[in-house]
Amino acid sequence: MSLINLFNGLVYGSLLIVMCSGLALIYGLRRVVNFAHGALYMLGAYLGYSVALHSNFWVALVAVPAIMALLGALLDRYGFRLLQNREPLTVVLVTFGLLLVIEDFVQTVWGKANLSLAAPAMLDFSIDLLGTSLPVYRIGVVVAGLAVAAGLTLWLRLSSVGLAVRAASTDPTTTAMQGVNTDTLSALVVGVGTALAGLAGVVAAPFLSLSPSMSSDVLIDSFVVVVVGGLGSLGGAFVAAMALGLVQAFGAVYLPDTSVLLPFLLMLAILVWKPAGLAGSRT
Amino acid sequence: MTFLQVAVRAIAALALGAAAAAFVGSDAVLSLLAQATIYALFASGVGLLLRQNGSASFGHALFFGGAGYGVAALLKLQAMPAELAILATLAAMTLLAFLVGLVIVRVPGIAFGMVTLAMGQMAFLSTSRARGFLGGADGLSVEWPATVFGMAQSDLFRPATLFMLSWATLVVVLAALALLLASRFGSVTEAVRDNEERARFIGIATLVPRAAIYALSALVSGTGGVLAALNTGFVSPESLHWSLSGMTLMMVIVGGFKTLWGPALGAVVYFLFKDVLGDYATHWMSIFGVVLIAVIVFAPTGLAGLLQRLVRRRAPLAASAAAALEVRDARA
Amino acid sequence: MNAMNSSQPHPSCVLQADEVAIHYGGVKALDGVSLTLGAGQIRGLIGPNGAGKSTVIDAITGRRRLTRGRVLLQGEDVSALGAVARRRRGLSRSFQRTSVFGQMKVRQQVELASHKMGVADSGADADAVLRELDLLRLAGATAEDLGYGEQRRLDLALALVGRPSVLLLDEPMAGLSVQESHDLARHLKQLISRWSVSVLLVEHDMDVVFGISDEVTVFELGRVIASGTPAEVRANPRVREAYLGSAA
Repeated sequence: MSLINLFNGLVYGSLLIVMCSGLALIYGLRRVVNFAHGALYMLGAYLGYSVALHSNFWVALVAVPAIMALLGALLDRYGFRLLQNREPLTVVLVTFGLLLVIEDFVQTVWGKANLSLAAPAMLDFSIDLLGTSLPVYRIGVVVAGLAVAAGLTLWLRLSSVGLAVRAASTDPTTTAMQGVNTDTLSALVVGVGTALAGLAGVVAAPFLSLSPSMSSDVLIDSFVVVVVGGLGSLGGAFVAAMALGLVQAFGAVYLPDTSVLLPFLLMLAILVWKPAGLAGSRT
Repeated sequence: MTFLQVAVRAIAALALGAAAAAFVGSDAVLSLLAQATIYALFASGVGLLLRQNGSASFGHALFFGGAGYGVAALLKLQAMPAELAILATLAAMTLLAFLVGLVIVRVPGIAFGMVTLAMGQMAFLSTSRARGFLGGADGLSVEWPATVFGMAQSDLFRPATLFMLSWATLVVVLAALALLLASRFGSVTEAVRDNEERARFIGIATLVPRAAIYALSALVSGTGGVLAALNTGFVSPESLHWSLSGMTLMMVIVGGFKTLWGPALGAVVYFLFKDVLGDYATHWMSIFGVVLIAVIVFAPTGLAGLLQRLVRRRAPLAASAAAALEVRDARA
Repeated sequence: MNAMNSSQPHPSCVLQADEVAIHYGGVKALDGVSLTLGAGQIRGLIGPNGAGKSTVIDAITGRRRLTRGRVLLQGEDVSALGAVARRRRGLSRSFQRTSVFGQMKVRQQVELASHKMGVADSGADADAVLRELDLLRLAGATAEDLGYGEQRRLDLALALVGRPSVLLLDEPMAGLSVQESHDLARHLKQLISRWSVSVLLVEHDMDVVFGISDEVTVFELGRVIASGTPAEVRANPRVREAYLGSAA
C-alpha cells in the first residue's frame, strides 16, 4: 500500500517540478509572479488534447511547448518588458487579467465539460515493481520531472547562456552593462518558463482529466511550492514540490477529509519558521 | 480629516441613501443597489489592506464567505439569537485573522498574495467537499429567525430595507475607518507601509500594526459577507472562491485604492457594467481582464484618482484652498 | 600630553563596542572592533570605502547581527536587543542612503518619531527640530516631493527628534554640495552641544570630521588601526599611509 502512495506522491511532485521551474525562472529574471501560469498550463493541456486528437501524443509533446514558448516570448516582449519599471504588484495584476482572458478563451473553445486524453499506446501499461503495479506512463512523468530538474540545473550552471541568466537574475543592470542583451535573454527565459507550463499540461493530460478548474487547482499548489521553497529559488522549488507531492499523496489515503488542507498547513508551518521560504526570497 | 468633517459627509451619504430607498420604485434596481453596496463593503476591506499595508490579498473571499458560513452554521445549530450569532462570527473571525496575520504579514512582497490565494482556495475546497453539516457544493440556507434586529422578516427582507441597511453599514464602516486612519494608528501603519525598516529605527514594532490592519480588513469584508447572507438567505462555496477574491481586487484597482471610497466606487461600476453588459455575460471574464489591464497601465490611481484630478482641474481655487488647509492642519 | 586630552573629562562611557565582529560568507566585515564614546563627545569614524564604518553603525544599532562581541549602551548590554528596543533606550541613527517615509508629510513623520520616543509634547519637539534643520517651511510637504538635500535633512530630523542620548550619523553629508555640507556641519555642532548628545559620525569629508570631532577612530579592512584626537590621528604614520596620504 505504501509504495503506491510514495509513487503517486513522486508523480505529482514531478509534475509540480516542471510547473514550478517555469514559475521560478520567470520570477528570477523578471521579478514577476506569473498568475497566469496555471492558465497557461491548462491551455497547454487543452492544446495538447487537440493536437493529439489530430496526430498523436508525441507530436503534442513537442508542438505544444514550442507554441507556448512563442506565446511566452510575446508576453515578455509586449507585457513584462513594457511594464518593467512599474511596481511588482502592477505586473502581477496584469498577469491576473491575462489569467481571466485565457480561462475564458479555453472555456469558449473547448467547453466546460471534462475531457480526457488517453496515454500514448507505447506507455499505456503497467509493470510490477516490489509487488506493486505501477503505470509506466506515470513512471514517465517522474522521469520527465527529473529530466527537467537536471536539465535546467545543468543548463544554468554549465552553459554560457545559463550563466547570463543567473547573472541577470541577480543583477540585471550590471549584467546589461557587461554587454548581455537582457531583453533577448528575458524573452528566452520567459519563453522557457511558459513552455514548461505547457509541457506540464501535456504531460498531465493523460493522468489528470482536463477540466475548467485545473488551472486554479495546480496554481494553488504551485504557489505553495514556490512560497515554501523561496521565490526565485529553483532548488527550493524542487524540494518543496516533492514534499508537497508526498504530503498530498499520503494525506489522500490516511486523512482524506482534511487532505486538502495539508498543503496550507505545511505552508503555514514553514512560514512561521522561515517567512521568506526555505531558500529565502529574492527581492 | 476631523470628526466633524467625517460626520458631515456620513450624514449626507445616509440622507442620499434614504432618498434612494424612498424614491426608487423598482425592486429590481434596489436589489441591484443592495448587492452593489454589499460588494462595496467587501471591496473596502480588500482596499484597506492594500492602502495601509501595501499588500494585495487574492483570497479575501475567505472572510466574505466565511462570515456568511459562520452565521449560517450558528443559526443552524440554534446556538444563539441571530444578533449574537452575527457578533460572535465577526469577532471570532477578526481574532483568527489577527493570529494568522501575525504569521503571514511577515511574508515579503507578492509571496503574501500567493499565500492569501492558497488560503482562500483551501477554504473553498474544504467547504465544497464537506457534505453534511455545511451542505457541501450545494451550499446552505441561512435560517434567519422571525425577527432580526427587532424587525419582522416581512419588513427586513424588502429590497428597500435591505438596501438601506447595507448602505448605512457601508457609510458607518467607512466613516469609522476614516476616523481610525486619521488617528495615531493610521500614521503608524502608513509609516510601516512606506518604509518598514525606518519605522523600526524610529521605535515602531511593526508586526502588530500590520497584523491589526489585516484583521481589520477581514472584519470589513466579513461584514459584507453577513449582509450578503441576509440579502440572499443562502451561502454557498462560490462565496469563497478565489475568482470572487480576484474580481473584488479588480474592483479595488479600477476604483482606486488611495482613497477610502475608491474600492466602493469600483464595486458600483462593476455592477453597472454587469447589468449593462448583460448580453455579453458569457465573456465576462475576458472583458474584465482587459479592463483591469487597461486601468493598471493607463490609470493606476483608478477612477477615484481620475475624479480627484478632474476636481482639481475644474476648481483650482477650491483645490489650492484645500491644499493650504492641509498645510495649516499639519502645523497645528 | 595633548592639551585637548586633559580638557575632556570622560566620567563614563555612554556607548561601548567590545570586540565586535561580523562575519558572513567568508567576508569579515568587522573583525574585532572596540570603541568607546563618552558623554557629550563627538567621535568621528573615518576610513576607506568598505572599511567597516557603516557596518559598525549597523552592528551598534542592531541592524546587523553580531558574530562576536557585545554592545553596551549606558552600561547595559544591548547585544541581544532589536533595533526597536535600542531606539527606545535612546540610541538613534541616520542613514547613508536616505531613508524616509515617502508618502507621509514632513511634519507628520517627524512628530510620529518624536511620539514614539515617548516625548510628551511631540509636536513642539518636531517643530524645534524642523526649525533647526531649516525644514519648517516644508512641514506640510510630502517627503517624496522634496529635493535630495531636503530629504537628507529629513532623514537627520527623524534621527534627531525625541532627544536621543546617543546619535549615530552615517555620512550625513553624502551627496551635498560643499556649502550645504558646511552649513549642516555647523547646525549639527550647535545642536549637539546644546542638547548634550553623544555622537558617532561617519563621514568622508575630512574637514568636517577633523573640524567637529573630539576624537577620531580610523578603520581599515574591518579593523581599527588608530584612535585618538584629530591631531594625533593626522600625525599617525599608519593612517597617513593607508588613508590620508602624506599631504594631510
